Amino acid sequence: MSQAEIVDALLDFIGRPGATEDAFEALALRLFAYQFRNNAPYRRFAQARGRTPLTVRRWRDIPAVPIKAFKDLTLSCCPPDAAERVFMTSGTTGAGRGRSYHPTLAVYDRSMLTGFAARIMRGRARIRMGILFPDEAVLPNSSLAHYLALAKDHFGTPDSAVFVGPSGLDLDALLSALAEAEASGEPYALLGATYAFVPVMDALAAQGRRFALPAGSFLFDTGGFKGQSREIEPDAFYDGLSQAFGVPRAACLNMYGMTELSTQFYDDGNAVCPPVKSGPHWIRSRVVDPLTGADLPEGETGVLVHHDLAHFNSVSAILTEDAGVIVPGGFRLLGRVEGSASRGCSVAVAEFLAAAQG
Amino acid sequence: MSAIEEAGHLPGLPAETVGRRVVEYGAWGETVAVALPSLSGDQAKVLCGHIRTRARETLRRMPTARIVAAIDRASAGLLDRAHPLRRKAEALLPVVTGYDRETVRLGLTSTLKTFRQPQLLRFLAEDFSNPGVLDGFQPAVKGGLVRAKGPDLLLHVWAGNVPALALWSLVAGLLVKAGTLGKLATAEPLTAGWFAQAIAEADPELGDCLAVTWWKGGAGGVEAACLMQADCVMAYGGDETLADLRAKVPVGTRFLPHGHRIGFAMIAREALDSRRAGPLARLAAHDVVRYEQQGCYAPQMLFVERSGAVAPLEFARHLAYELAAMASRHPRRRLDPAESAGIAAWRSAHEMRALDGSATLLGDPADPWSVVHLDSAASLSPSGLNRTLAVVAVDDLAEVPALVAPHRAFLQTAGIAAAPARLLRLADDLAAAGVTRIAAIGRMTAPEAGWHHDGRFSLLDLVTLTEIEASAEAAAEGFAPYAD
Repeated sequence: MSQAEIVDALLDFIGRPGATEDAFEALALRLFAYQFRNNAPYRRFAQARGRTPLTVRRWRDIPAVPIKAFKDLTLSCCPPDAAERVFMTSGTTGAGRGRSYHPTLAVYDRSMLTGFAARIMRGRARIRMGILFPDEAVLPNSSLAHYLALAKDHFGTPDSAVFVGPSGLDLDALLSALAEAEASGEPYALLGATYAFVPVMDALAAQGRRFALPAGSFLFDTGGFKGQSREIEPDAFYDGLSQAFGVPRAACLNMYGMTELSTQFYDDGNAVCPPVKSGPHWIRSRVVDPLTGADLPEGETGVLVHHDLAHFNSVSAILTEDAGVIVPGGFRLLGRVEGSASRGCSVAVAEFLAAAQG
Repeated sequence: MSAIEEAGHLPGLPAETVGRRVVEYGAWGETVAVALPSLSGDQAKVLCGHIRTRARETLRRMPTARIVAAIDRASAGLLDRAHPLRRKAEALLPVVTGYDRETVRLGLTSTLKTFRQPQLLRFLAEDFSNPGVLDGFQPAVKGGLVRAKGPDLLLHVWAGNVPALALWSLVAGLLVKAGTLGKLATAEPLTAGWFAQAIAEADPELGDCLAVTWWKGGAGGVEAACLMQADCVMAYGGDETLADLRAKVPVGTRFLPHGHRIGFAMIAREALDSRRAGPLARLAAHDVVRYEQQGCYAPQMLFVERSGAVAPLEFARHLAYELAAMASRHPRRRLDPAESAGIAAWRSAHEMRALDGSATLLGDPADPWSVVHLDSAASLSPSGLNRTLAVVAVDDLAEVPALVAPHRAFLQTAGIAAAPARLLRLADDLAAAGVTRIAAIGRMTAPEAGWHHDGRFSLLDLVTLTEIEASAEAAAEGFAPYAD
């Protein structure tokens, strides 16, 4: 299959919400054959595990690449310099930045827009948005900057605005936009990186100020704290958001995505943490034993593997570093998987690294 | 196992007043419930006071030979496989620590063997040219007289799940007549208490100078009380734990920390012929399997020299074969998710390197061991533990000291297989890099009697000297009844 045929097949698949498990499997196997043929490091990886298009019959058997590999290897079916866009990880967790090559953004954009419309907009056409993240001009390699630009352009009203520029957060502009929204009675949406909400909440607390955003407003955070702000426990974080902006926790939505995917997962609000996350029909998740990669029985905690058909040019099956458990309707995210300290007196990796960086 | 095992040894506290916290341990399809002592702050003070008083009143006057004899008798009891305590140890420790029965049995024997009378005398001789200084004033080389005295209250804060590890410092303290208070490690809360009971059985007066208890590390009034009362604190644990303890110890209290360490081994080309490579791989596998690399002396990396008859990759295959063979006699217990994740992260990092040919991963992810062969020199780094290690090919072992030197703070044991002249040359450079113990391959996890843990004097570090200077001795002559 050529790249053009893959893109057409994917756009068609994304447009067919009723697609069955069999249809997912068929397309997953075609994509595996495509990636195996055109992505040399992935081919070697799969061969080392004895998994080739000839031996793999189920989508669950397609080998998942550890997410770290995106830092060490060039995982792309097209020549890397033929990519229209390269998204890179922020590089806050360890050395090197993971890269995802996109020869076209047609599939990424369709995946994002379809998912966002269904899970965030829910039938609404547009809403006034405030964005707490730099725009694409400032961060051209950020998948989140592109994601938020798509959200604003396709689902934001013309008076939507970005409040983080090259020099940081424009708090005054944000506060006056929030005040306007409060007075207007029109719903408002504040979207951004999780850590970006922390200084806003702190500033409001320092000023003794609170907003009561109109009914229908929502907050949208993603990505966690990443060492960019102090860490706040999820319940305290959503309580804080809810109090500061006058939005119920059920309207505080969290998106779980990553640079190494072209599709995002959402919850239906954070009234209870951790909420159930789920994605659209072109992405599926498994919970595996991190060592063997074997599926764990439903209800057991393991490491999440995501199989994203839309991430066609790189690798569709990703072994994350996120702990999770499969539950009816999706999965719960249980934080990062950390290697344990030794039980005895030998040095384990974490302590060794801490000392090396110290 | 339905009975609850009571941990610790608490002389001076009526048993019925001691609170207990029951902790369940499980492995190999069995569970064991251990009742850890849970004292109040006041009880801790009473206990500290009791030990201190006993140390001053009886221990100080007890000849070292009597202490040696008591430790020897306690060790002999625990070496006897028919002794009730030994039977209990063999039954309970595999379940509590997760190590297989054979490893526990062999490990107990090998550790206890180093605490028999001849070995104890060797401990004393290692640190004191005249151990008589522990019993009274002895002539000093420079003139005058000298006597050594252990602390009235020595607090041990033990850590980790390696069976009987606590005995090394416990014995060191007793040999210098320290009133002893030990804090059990939650991961192995039994052996130190049993040993204290065996001492009390062998010599009740000595047993009365020795207490073993438990508290939850890092918090609470008991820890604070004990840290305030002790004259000397010997502590084991990770950097964070040690920093936390050090901050709570009064300025005038001697603090002797033993942090986590990483071990490694080196194989010279002269050891790599077809006759020697196989047996050597078996010995190296033994060092890896024993205690699942949880001990500070266990190898996590193996540097193998090129241009021997057996190439490094071939040696890695020998090692993989031996690890696979040992897995049936010494099965690895089921790992918890965090341990699996640690191995998975280590394996996947090497798997990526394997794609460009610079690494070869041996063993399937489902195997209870993993060996990776690295084709170019790599600096020392931890493995995923639990029977995982990297075999690093080097052109010359002389490169190794530079590869480990950046991690000086974590260095301790190096295993070496090399000819005598090279052993000494390499040892010199390793010593400069911070290595404090060099052992034969196969003996890395079994330090010899009298070894200097982390390069320190196990006994000398504990004592304080009192010197009668030559002037005082000479002046005294002037006041003698027979003075001219």
